[in-house]
Amino acid sequence: MGSFAGVLIDATLITLVLALAATGLAVVFGLIGVVNMGHGAFLTLGAYFTWAGIQAGLPFLIAVVLSALGVGLIGLILELVLIRHFYDRPFETLLLTWGMFLVVTELIKIVFGTDFRNVPSPLPGTLSMGDIQIPAYRLAVSLFTIVLLFGLAGLLFHTSVGLRVRALVQQQESAALLGLNVERLYRQVFTLGAALAGLAGALISPMLSIDPYIGNVFLVRSFFVVTLGGLGQILGGTVVGSFIIGGSETLFALFSSQVVAQTIVFALAIVLLRFRPTGLLGSDRR
Amino acid sequence: MEKTFGRVSRRTALKGVAGAVAAMAAPSVITKAWAATPIKVGVISPLTGAWTVYGKAHYSGFELAVGEINKAGGVLGRPIEIVVGDSKTEPRIVVEQANRLIRQERVDFLAGTFSSAERNAAGPVVAQSGKLLLYPTWYEGQSQEFYPGVCNKGIFMFGPEPSQQVWPHVDYIMKKHGKRFFLIGSDYAWPRETNKMFKEKFKELGGEVVGEVYIPFNTPQYESVLRDIRNAKAEVVFHSLTGSDTVNFRRQMHAAGMNKDIALWTVDDEEVVTSGLGPEVSAGTYVSFDYFMTIDQPNNKAFLEKFRAKYGPDALVNTVGVGMYNAAHMLALAIAKAGATDTAKVRDALGGLTFEQAPQGPVRMRADDHQAVLPSYLMQVRNNWTGVNDMFQQVQALPSVDPVPAKCKLPL
Repeated sequence: MGSFAGVLIDATLITLVLALAATGLAVVFGLIGVVNMGHGAFLTLGAYFTWAGIQAGLPFLIAVVLSALGVGLIGLILELVLIRHFYDRPFETLLLTWGMFLVVTELIKIVFGTDFRNVPSPLPGTLSMGDIQIPAYRLAVSLFTIVLLFGLAGLLFHTSVGLRVRALVQQQESAALLGLNVERLYRQVFTLGAALAGLAGALISPMLSIDPYIGNVFLVRSFFVVTLGGLGQILGGTVVGSFIIGGSETLFALFSSQVVAQTIVFALAIVLLRFRPTGLLGSDRR
Repeated sequence: MEKTFGRVSRRTALKGVAGAVAAMAAPSVITKAWAATPIKVGVISPLTGAWTVYGKAHYSGFELAVGEINKAGGVLGRPIEIVVGDSKTEPRIVVEQANRLIRQERVDFLAGTFSSAERNAAGPVVAQSGKLLLYPTWYEGQSQEFYPGVCNKGIFMFGPEPSQQVWPHVDYIMKKHGKRFFLIGSDYAWPRETNKMFKEKFKELGGEVVGEVYIPFNTPQYESVLRDIRNAKAEVVFHSLTGSDTVNFRRQMHAAGMNKDIALWTVDDEEVVTSGLGPEVSAGTYVSFDYFMTIDQPNNKAFLEKFRAKYGPDALVNTVGVGMYNAAHMLALAIAKAGATDTAKVRDALGGLTFEQAPQGPVRMRADDHQAVLPSYLMQVRNNWTGVNDMFQQVQALPSVDPVPAKCKLPL
């Protein structure tokens, strides 16, 4: 029976697309602890920038790169103007970034309107494996996500920048005493997180409807992914969290309805967090 | 203005005399000034939130009609004034807005709400306050268990219900594509009740439901549902997802290559959503409604000219926008016929009324169950369409469909 393989492939694709959407948050929330409720808005902006790029006649990949850079730039500006004053106040950050989300969403409505927009799929066909058909573009995005996550892990664990970030995450004061420019590093990490969210929004845009709320669909799920996977666990945590929040739903849906499956997934997430408050892969250092 | 003064000063008396003189000199000016006590209508539209995409057509339909009515001198010599309430696509907010419009703004009538959940939320407020609500959307039909959201003598339905929107086309789709239907809808009252009505007719015609799923709002990924549809060997997907979920599902169904051998019939995706889907994803699928922008009706041509003159050549309207347009005009006709604005008189006048200039052709409001008698169109989306003008190919058209009697304690 091809259906078991089918379920496996479906679960994998869902996991990886969700992981892509959550990566930006994994960086911003996971590494520097900013409870970024604006994550959804960054995703939405990435999707709209891509749509605008395509409308202007740009090739898809160029539009994607420009969208990521554009959202990164917006992230940088927001960091400079607002976020940097609030690093030691997580609760205020939550309200601040929620406010940012509301403002950005309304601005999107003013600039782009409220109609559904769409970006045509750059890889429209499907690949057949036996009797299983895999949408080509989804597959490409999933493969790219794997590369991206490994790249980020490599950046974090095998470069001097990554070393500094890890030092910052583990012992901020000592890192500062040792001459680390903490302020600049925070800014770089936040900008990277915003750019990654923009990139995710751009890459997801051909799969979903583009409306001012496209990012919302992923906001709560992304927070679950990052918290469940474990803060700071960029590679493993994001994938494991995404599997539980996204991929496992496919398995539960085999035995029950979609509604029940989603409920089971979120209930499971809460139970897991009860027993592993630092996340499945999180260490107990905090 | 409403305050009365116990003592009339000399100055006020002089003003009064001056006014009386002016009134004799220029009666027309004074008529206009007197007529400035407007008839207030509270319009509740989804202007923000998940269903914003439908909100624009929803609101502009009513606004356009009110503009026309006022330009023609208003009703009973009084202009109609709109007071807007944004539902934010949340039933809870609908209740707040309906209360605000009635208690603070002191509106005479309510129009709007968009989804069935919103209308059901407004139902108790309407019943309590003794006001009328004019509801424009295609919906699941009336059944006593959902009172006061439906079967409410204060609510009038200007949109089609399933025995109008769906029943006339079941036979055609079955003969053309097969008897194995898979039903997918959003998880709330409208899709569930619509499917219940659909199955009544479908089973009678010998169809087989091979799957029926309801999807929670804001679901981004549909792999497992698509697999179920394929495994069930469905020949037709009968589709009642709404909002962004409909676009997400349909894009993914297309990306999975399933549009080639499975037909899709949607009872949700009008001009606005189909535009959002784009030509590749939507090509070949079926849509049924009481109104489309491209229907060949003299009334429709005149309507679209006015609509485009006001909102621009690319503005979209749909069944809901037209429902709101008809609601405003029929309210004005009813007030004129009743000669007053009090609820009971207008309600009696509106029942049985026909609006000859409705964009979809003459529309009649049934008196006993407050359901509009409307046409029904089945359209197929063309390949490579470029805009609303060449989007739909007409497959079946029924000029006027009498719906089954509402399952309420009749008459309302």
